[in-house]
Amino acid sequence: MTNHAPPAGLRSDQMFINFGPQHPSTHGVLRIALTVEGEVVVKGDPDIGYLHRGMEKLFEARTYSQGLMLTDRFDYISAMHNNLGYCLAVERLAGIQAPLRAQYLRVLVAELNRIASHLVFFGTFAVDMGAFTPFLYAFREREMIMDLFEELCGGRLLYTYMRFGGVSADLPAGWAGKCTEFLNFFEPRLKEYDTLLSGNPIFKSRTEGVGVISAERAVSWGLSGPILRASGVNYDVRKNDPYCVYDKLDFKAVVLQNGSCWDRYYCRMLEMGESLKISRQCLAALASAELTPGEIVAKGVPKMFKAAPGQAYAHVEASRGDLGFYAVSDGGMNPFRMHVRGPSFINVAILQEMLGGCKIADVVAILGSLDIVLGEVDR
Amino acid sequence: MKNYIDFVADASWNTLKGLWVTLKFLFLPSITVQYPTEKIVPYPRFRGMLAYDAELCIACGMCVRACPSRCIALAKAAPPPAPPPAADGQPAAPAVKAGPKIEWYTIDYGRCNFCGLCEESCPTKPKAVWHSLDYEAVFSTREEMVRRWKRGDGPWGTVKRSADAQPSAISDQIHIQDMPVRK
Ligand code: SF4
Ligand code: SF4
Repeated sequence: MTNHAPPAGLRSDQMFINFGPQHPSTHGVLRIALTVEGEVVVKGDPDIGYLHRGMEKLFEARTYSQGLMLTDRFDYISAMHNNLGYCLAVERLAGIQAPLRAQYLRVLVAELNRIASHLVFFGTFAVDMGAFTPFLYAFREREMIMDLFEELCGGRLLYTYMRFGGVSADLPAGWAGKCTEFLNFFEPRLKEYDTLLSGNPIFKSRTEGVGVISAERAVSWGLSGPILRASGVNYDVRKNDPYCVYDKLDFKAVVLQNGSCWDRYYCRMLEMGESLKISRQCLAALASAELTPGEIVAKGVPKMFKAAPGQAYAHVEASRGDLGFYAVSDGGMNPFRMHVRGPSFINVAILQEMLGGCKIADVVAILGSLDIVLGEVDR
Repeated sequence: MKNYIDFVADASWNTLKGLWVTLKFLFLPSITVQYPTEKIVPYPRFRGMLAYDAELCIACGMCVRACPSRCIALAKAAPPPAPPPAADGQPAAPAVKAGPKIEWYTIDYGRCNFCGLCEESCPTKPKAVWHSLDYEAVFSTREEMVRRWKRGDGPWGTVKRSADAQPSAISDQIHIQDMPVRK
């Protein structure tokens, strides 16, 4: 935690600036304490905790099934992944296995949610870089995904869709058709985004070669997700520790080499294409004869759920990286301890090393390319 | 110098390409909805404001236990007086038709997460507590957020049941399903 007062020993040609917590480019309540010398940042310290709600403690005061609703509120841009990670951890604790149809449904909604989440990144990063139009397009497409989710589970942002041993609802009639229609609509849009932004020289000159993270630094700071893969490290939980049905699906982990802001951006754009492929495969599998109609919740999971004493860890590849849940049970109705490894929280830490020496305009580019969600940073 | 001119030319060309993309959408119908003159009717599973029906409720308290935020509180009604013991040779008097089994029931909307766990746990059919499609809720004080039903009150509200809610034909409302670009 940084000190709120300007640092001692500030020279008279230097200036101390509070970047945030109320700054439109921080996408939430993050404060960065910047010391600048002219236009060059001497030192930047991220200061977190403005959105702290004590979530890990709140789990201890709720039963397992009630805790599900808390997980929605970590990374509220991709709540499905949080639901999934939590359910996997509790299922591992209790030794429950979700039926196959439920697993496909989980993967399907998780990948759709990844697209929606990367679209938010695409739109807001473009706005940070001074291009406004992509934002409108990104939110148009995201709205369609949210409509699909609304029809499926009733929530537009905070889904509470998963249940222990499965999911809460099967696909409504006609949903698969609408989803295919969306995917068909979305596929050509990705090319459009490239025309609008990815190949634009103005955008490129603001992001290429800016905020480079070497593979070594990325690993030693414990980064994960697209940020890590953009630095040339091939690590994707979906590949390296497959959960649900990811080992049966055909996709590749996107890896880029340079680790600059542009690579982090483009990594996410390519990932949307992969998510699209996964979604199509899931839809095909869900429509196949052996899975329709199938069970969507494992049998015999009691409403008032009690896990045997023990501990379990499960992690998923969320939109922002490796999201892990560590559950400890003492045999009671409530978890004894629930620890969350939030990728945004760990990813934001590298800012203190990256910001020193860069230009003040690049602070926004670097912060935007890390794509943090403050709900997950602070919890 | 040459580099500079190349860069400007490249940037302009790419900007034009970007403008061409936006131009293609210029003549398509608008996808925005002019709230509040136009309103979207959500899908049947939408989790809007909670509604409650005291006639159906059996006061089992499952919703109270399911709720993560302790929004719901209730009190059971006293059991109806036992019918008088049957006199010899006479059939037993028919049981008095009991009123609602519930004395009072409150939902604190200020705490509600709209998570649907209470509706899911309610054992009656149709559900005695359920999410309506109502998404417009305005309260001016904290006390108003706590909605209370007690014996003798009329129905909880005027909202429609989501299970059979056919979106009502209000002419100024757009149905989300009818939006051409929202398929
Ligand atoms: S919707 Fe969730 S938070 Fe609201 S009353 Fe029901 S269980 Fe409680
Ligand atoms: S769960 Fe349903 S029936 Fe039981 S008390 Fe709540 S509203 Fe009434």
